[in-house]
Amino acid sequence: MENCIIKNENLSFVYDDEGTSVSAVSAVIPPALDDVTVSIKKGEYIAVLGHNGSGKSTFAKLLNMILKPINGRVYIDGKDITCEEFTEDEMFEVRSKVGMVFQNPDNQLVATVVEEDVAFGPENLGLPRAEIRKRVDEALDVVGMAEYANHAPHKLSGGQKQRVAIAGIIAMKPKVIIFDESTAMLDPLGRREVLEIMEKLNREDNITVINITHYMEEAARADRVLIINDGKLLLDGSPREIFSKVDFLHSIGLESPQGTELLFELSSLGYDVPTDAISEDECYDALKTLLGKGGKLA
Amino acid sequence: MNKLEIRNVSFIYGKGTPFERRALDDVSVSFESGKITGLIGHTGSGKSTLVNLLNGLYKPHGGEVLLDGVSIWDKPSEISKIRYRVGLVMQYPEYQLFDETVRGDIGFAPRNQGLSESEISERVAEAAKFTGITDEMLDKSPFELSGGQKRRVAIAGILAMKPDVLVLDEPAAGLDPRGRREILGGLSEYVKQSGITLILVSHSMEDMAYYCDNVVVMSDSKIYKAGTVDEIFSSAEELEKIGLDVPVISKIAARLKADGFNLDGKLYTVEGVKDAIIKYLGGSGR
Amino acid sequence: MISDITLGQFFPGNSPIHKLDPRTKLLLTVAFIVAVFLANSPLAFFSLFLAVLTLVLASQISFKVILKGIKPIIYVLIFTALINIFMTRGEGEPLISFYIIKIYKEGIIRAFFMAFRVILLIIGTSVLLTYTTSPISLTDGIESLLSPLKKIGVPVHVFAMMMTIALRFIPTLIEETEKIMNAQKSRGADFSSGSLIKRAKALIPLLIPLFVSSFKRADELAIAMECRCYRGDKNRTKLVKLSYKPKDFLWFAFGILFISLMIALRIIPQHISGSISEELFNFLFFKI
Repeated sequence: MENCIIKNENLSFVYDDEGTSVSAVSAVIPPALDDVTVSIKKGEYIAVLGHNGSGKSTFAKLLNMILKPINGRVYIDGKDITCEEFTEDEMFEVRSKVGMVFQNPDNQLVATVVEEDVAFGPENLGLPRAEIRKRVDEALDVVGMAEYANHAPHKLSGGQKQRVAIAGIIAMKPKVIIFDESTAMLDPLGRREVLEIMEKLNREDNITVINITHYMEEAARADRVLIINDGKLLLDGSPREIFSKVDFLHSIGLESPQGTELLFELSSLGYDVPTDAISEDECYDALKTLLGKGGKLA
Repeated sequence: MNKLEIRNVSFIYGKGTPFERRALDDVSVSFESGKITGLIGHTGSGKSTLVNLLNGLYKPHGGEVLLDGVSIWDKPSEISKIRYRVGLVMQYPEYQLFDETVRGDIGFAPRNQGLSESEISERVAEAAKFTGITDEMLDKSPFELSGGQKRRVAIAGILAMKPDVLVLDEPAAGLDPRGRREILGGLSEYVKQSGITLILVSHSMEDMAYYCDNVVVMSDSKIYKAGTVDEIFSSAEELEKIGLDVPVISKIAARLKADGFNLDGKLYTVEGVKDAIIKYLGGSGR
Repeated sequence: MISDITLGQFFPGNSPIHKLDPRTKLLLTVAFIVAVFLANSPLAFFSLFLAVLTLVLASQISFKVILKGIKPIIYVLIFTALINIFMTRGEGEPLISFYIIKIYKEGIIRAFFMAFRVILLIIGTSVLLTYTTSPISLTDGIESLLSPLKKIGVPVHVFAMMMTIALRFIPTLIEETEKIMNAQKSRGADFSSGSLIKRAKALIPLLIPLFVSSFKRADELAIAMECRCYRGDKNRTKLVKLSYKPKDFLWFAFGILFISLMIALRIIPQHISGSISEELFNFLFFKI
């Protein structure tokens, strides 16, 4: 419990017609999130997979109090953020601890100059000017956008805008950053840039990263994968455990990495291959062994 | 006969201003009927510009866009007729929905074409069929639908024009694997039945390898390479040279081949590599 | 293409005017506008002209750009000048008399000063503000100048935030408009021909998607702002703090001096200033 940065117990949420939360569980509208219990350790790199509308974004928004659960408890850094006595000041403290980067880079940049946008969070926290300056410069450095500090955001590429958005979150010095499909609208280059920053933050600054995505190859790089389907937490395990369940993933409309899929197919035809290889190298090794043996049937 | 052909086309943004930028430089390529041609390349390689030239949204600064051998700019006043024949589905097309009902929205283009009400409803029904839109959805407001459903309505809105050529810019962007399969599978079924020319722009090499017959690779405002999907994906190094990815499965297959395993077949899809391995091992599996 | 339109008229630079605090420039602009309307004698106009010339030279904005800025209003200027020339009745004999058209000396004088006043007004304000101040520092300046109003409950911060966000999203919305237009054109929509009613109707497929997506953007932006701990101006600090520098005070002094001069010229007994004007005018236009 001590080293859990996020802990949920029996978390449930229901949207009403207007898209806001309702006070009681309704029989008509299916819950967006249904009885989810999960603990996330400090410094973990987590991927959340699920198809569109599975409830994974709702899950994220419950973690920084954008939405309030109708049932269950959320603990951030040991504090119960769902208790009644939670004050507004405490709420903003939670939001500065749990940062969030969204899908559409355009819709999260506020200012007309890159560095002023990065400063937006620290400004809201009421930090002294010198500290804001320092954080803005550091954050832009981390995402490699320092030379664009005085540019207008609308002139940047999608990947660059998203990096500015990340800098804006880093500048608040969060302990957790949630990436809510932050790579979905980017081209492969932009996606790679964002993914690299994500992993660097996790590795070097020990920031807990939660990457909500539907790219299997991104999830395969995480320490741990959560699979949410129809509001329920279906699977929770290492990428290796999750992606070897090829059949199960297909049944809920998801996929495994191509190499794993191939090994699964071969194995189900009776060939002697491991089915828990997920990286390109592992799959290559497995297939090389198979071909080298001349394909002895299991 | 190739329905659509591009001959020596050039296009320059901001022509005549200090901000001139050449987006297409003497590009020639043709698209086969009844086939799916993939268009790949980096952001800024010129593929979006090319797409906008195909149905006359942009006018080339040099060269010609030929539809059935006739330049689409022969009669500039009739360019809207060209747009019915070359259907263009833009990126994130769900943003173009506006009508009160899904039915009305899909019928927007046929109505502009001046078709009769009975023809319009026939077209709407057919387009809905291929995009998996149910009768119940047709009477809803498009704004009540989910993201993936909206996408399909937008695509149906173009299919309803019964174009000879259909161009789609990243039709599956942002969708989950199931959503991707539904849309791309539906389109490839449509091509099989109608025999139209389909041009697919995508960053997903896996989708390209799986659904396309031919591939055109663009780089630096020019055609870098064009050929069948076999030809393009069998030379993975060349694609990587211009910074494009290849499907993971073809990377693995290429490494196995380099080790001396003589694999043969469609080494760019999971199915293809599986078949090749089974063949190499001399059996049908069991 | 519409997306090529540059936002506002800001020309980045490093001139003394560029470097002034936006508040200084806003206040000087107000003073300048007052001065322009105080001016009613040739001497006053001559002083105004000198002031504007100083501003233009100090801003290092090219004369070509300045002239371009006047171009759009040239027809309005000609029109008002003509009205003044034809409609003003003078005391003496008309200079030109042709049927009912009678042109008096007073009419010409008035037309000339009216045009001169508008031209000076436009050049002065654009050099002081729009050409040399970025939209963001303009917003900061306005917020800071209006901040005393907070005490009486005016939501100054909210207005400033709205302005910033509007400035941020104008290019995005222009891009989006172009995109939706192209999408609807691809479905056979025609935005450029037909009767007025037909054209207005053709805008529906453009405007509805634009509204829908703007609301979606607003919604997402609001959530993103909340995630970044936005809570209005409560407890908020700023990265860029406006601060007056010695040179700002120098310019203020100029401003005060100048406006006093204009007031002085205005209250000098009418017959003195009047006769000076007449002589100057005669000298300028009739003796040469």
